[in-house]
Amino acid sequence: MTPMLDIVFILLIFFIVTATFLQEEGLNMQPPPQSPETPPDPAPVILVDVNDQGRVFVNQQQTDPERVLAAVSRFRAENPRSAVLIAPQYQADHGIVVLIWDDMQANGIPVSVQPAERVQQ
Amino acid sequence: MARRASRVNTEEEEIELNMTPMLDVVFILLIFFIVTSVFVKEPGVDVTRPDAVTTDRERPSILIAVTAADEVWINRRVYDINGVRGAVEQLIEENPRAEAMIQGDAAASSGLVFEVQEILGDMGVPVNISTRNN
Repeated sequence: MTPMLDIVFILLIFFIVTATFLQEEGLNMQPPPQSPETPPDPAPVILVDVNDQGRVFVNQQQTDPERVLAAVSRFRAENPRSAVLIAPQYQADHGIVVLIWDDMQANGIPVSVQPAERVQQ
Repeated sequence: MARRASRVNTEEEEIELNMTPMLDVVFILLIFFIVTSVFVKEPGVDVTRPDAVTTDRERPSILIAVTAADEVWINRRVYDINGVRGAVEQLIEENPRAEAMIQGDAAASSGLVFEVQEILGDMGVPVNISTRNN
């Protein structure tokens, strides 16, 4: 029985070693929820455009990517219920979108992302 | 004297460890590790993921990389955006409960990352955007 036990032990060690419980850090970036009919009182939207050159516009005003939060907070001061919609163009850097998303999330501002070509003006 | 010596001898012969319960335990451990083992499908390319603070810990088993040159890497191969669905379908067949994670390079096109995310979402695969925690 000893040789069999050896084999079983080797298999066991192999599976223990390969069972790396991979843990990754991640965000769940979502487009705005789709509903057939718009709710009666939709939250006002603060549109954050990111264009192909990586320039950021908060409600059409050009802003530094790092300072989107300040600009958004100004709009939210007028209307605390408003939500942020990030509308990046196709070539916009993924990093900028994640940066803005993360900034909003960290400050508890409702945020969603939708490609610019699908946002109805 | 001679009798005593012979008694010691027979006792030594009889000492043999019963391995069966231990073998049972080892088998159960082995089966546990075989069943729980998930082989992560690595994309096979390194990307510079963006930093973020508000992250969740996930345990994905399919990793999809989108590089700065807008190539989509799945399981060590480059795919066209049209080939992503087929490639993921194959991996899902192997492990139907797989969760996916997109490792987008900070300089990748956000549109491409979104398209990949949407394809996976359509297929009902839970998907997250991979980041680096700082």
